[in-house]
Amino acid sequence: MSSYYFSIVGTRDNPLYEVEFSSFKTATTSSSTGSSVPGISQFPTNIKEILPFVTNSSLDLIEDFQWTTSSFNLGKIDSFYGLLVYGFITQGNIKFILCFEGSNNNNNGSSAQKYNENSIKQFFVDVNDLYVKCLLNPFYAVNDAITSPDFDLKVKLLAKKYL
Amino acid sequence: MSNEDIILPSASSLSTLSISDISRTGFGYNPSVGPASNSITPETSNILLNRKTITLTPTSANSIYDKNINSKKINEISLSSLSFLFCEIVNWSHKNSKGIQDLETRLNGLGYQIGQRFLELNKLREGFKTSKREIRIIEVLQFIHGTFWKSIFGKVANELEKSQDVTNEYMIIDNVPLISKFISIPKDYGNLNCAAFMAGIIEGALDSASFHADVTAHSVPLDGFPLRTVFLIKFDESLMIRESLRFS
Amino acid sequence: MKVYSIYILNKAGGLIYQNDVNAGLNKLSANDYLVLAGTLHGVHAISARLNPTINGKDTTSEANASPNAQILTTGRFQDSNGNRSGLHSIETDLFNLYVFQSLTGIKFIVITSPNPVVYNIQTVKKREDVIASKGELNKSYEEANGVFKQLYVIYSDYVMKDPFYSLDMPIKSHLFDAKVKELIS
Repeated sequence: MSSYYFSIVGTRDNPLYEVEFSSFKTATTSSSTGSSVPGISQFPTNIKEILPFVTNSSLDLIEDFQWTTSSFNLGKIDSFYGLLVYGFITQGNIKFILCFEGSNNNNNGSSAQKYNENSIKQFFVDVNDLYVKCLLNPFYAVNDAITSPDFDLKVKLLAKKYL
Repeated sequence: MSNEDIILPSASSLSTLSISDISRTGFGYNPSVGPASNSITPETSNILLNRKTITLTPTSANSIYDKNINSKKINEISLSSLSFLFCEIVNWSHKNSKGIQDLETRLNGLGYQIGQRFLELNKLREGFKTSKREIRIIEVLQFIHGTFWKSIFGKVANELEKSQDVTNEYMIIDNVPLISKFISIPKDYGNLNCAAFMAGIIEGALDSASFHADVTAHSVPLDGFPLRTVFLIKFDESLMIRESLRFS
Repeated sequence: MKVYSIYILNKAGGLIYQNDVNAGLNKLSANDYLVLAGTLHGVHAISARLNPTINGKDTTSEANASPNAQILTTGRFQDSNGNRSGLHSIETDLFNLYVFQSLTGIKFIVITSPNPVVYNIQTVKKREDVIASKGELNKSYEEANGVFKQLYVIYSDYVMKDPFYSLDMPIKSHLFDAKVKELIS
């Protein structure tokens, strides 16, 4: 069961929102101790603490990449010792970044990977929808942290739906 | 070090959360705590899995997050109410301003936030499949002149021109700016133009799309169009360098 | 019907707009225009008190209350002319003058060319002719009403929605001027 670290990064490379979770789908096949609860992230501590750094280091790659493509979804932008980094950028220069541990068994086939990339894309698109709704709040300004509990709930529901 | 001393790089608003604010429901991100603040617990996992409806905030039951903002249907509002509202906006800004220049800056600032928000909303409404991210100066200008203008003012702007002398200057021209349709500037106000508000909208949209620019509104009346306004867009020099490096 | 002049009076009887849209009237001095406006305002107010009594009871308040009552019951105002009991028009051989009052007490006054001359009603014995001349009179009143309606619309748009206009002060908006010119020509 793979764990994910999702963050939204503002225009000044400042974090607006972060969340850690794990896939809700493979909850039953958990082997690690005391982790029968689906959704709780399973990152080992040494990985957990470098996640924000991995995300941040990918920002340079995103900035380089964003001027070469006119699509919103940037796909896989980086990998760091098995940590895969996927990115999405809005017109307003807000970055959505998803880090997770790639599956070790590469013989999974490309179709599974394709499926995975598609669901990541869908996840990003729907989070974009949520972000714009958040932006429509007159008490929220661009580059503020998103503290709304409702937003948090919706993102987690999307995570459950797609990842 | 007290809680107040902790600098939150991401939060500029008044409602910043401190390290001691703990969410009671288990939902809600706290920037001073980080991802630990909203990590999934057995309780929240249960809520997520069983799709329980919970009331997190007073507005949860009727939250915007449950609504569709994506509809293509054109929502029209009354021009009268818009004009009266804008009339009050100008009056209020005028009351607080120190002079004509200051008044224009204030109107520009009010428009700026609208531009930032509308840009994202507009791209969302275009649809993920059909729209593309604007990465070139001329394309982003065409987008603003066309789609963006139409969704705010119900019509496309009249002209889009490039300055002949200066490379980083462009002009969007509107013969009858909707917002200042009924406003006539008294003589002692010099060259004030209330469409500075619209200039602010453009500037906000361009800035957040990382096309940094200064946008100003100038009255250039023609016969039959006494309110004709030229929005002068002056891009940052660095932008021209970026453009030439990327696309030459 | 030719419109000579348009005056707008605020609710205190002060002249806030005066425009001789077509030549044809003698010019007065600026002060005389103010006096004229004040006089018309006063005459209007007094004439409003000249209501007939019904069984010895005054009906003025009822006549004036009716537009408000109408708004309260139906939620809309059918006729924009709130000038119910006051001076409506003055007709002379040389000019006609019409008064329109908005609900808030702004008076629009229009001075137009006189009614078409009706030749000797007394000598013409046929009744149809009399009716025809009456219809002619009614027509110019209707025409004036049409001008008032559009003038009221222009006033609401270009004066009331202008942030640089303060209530009851003289109207200086050049857009308003241009629109009035457009309306009359």
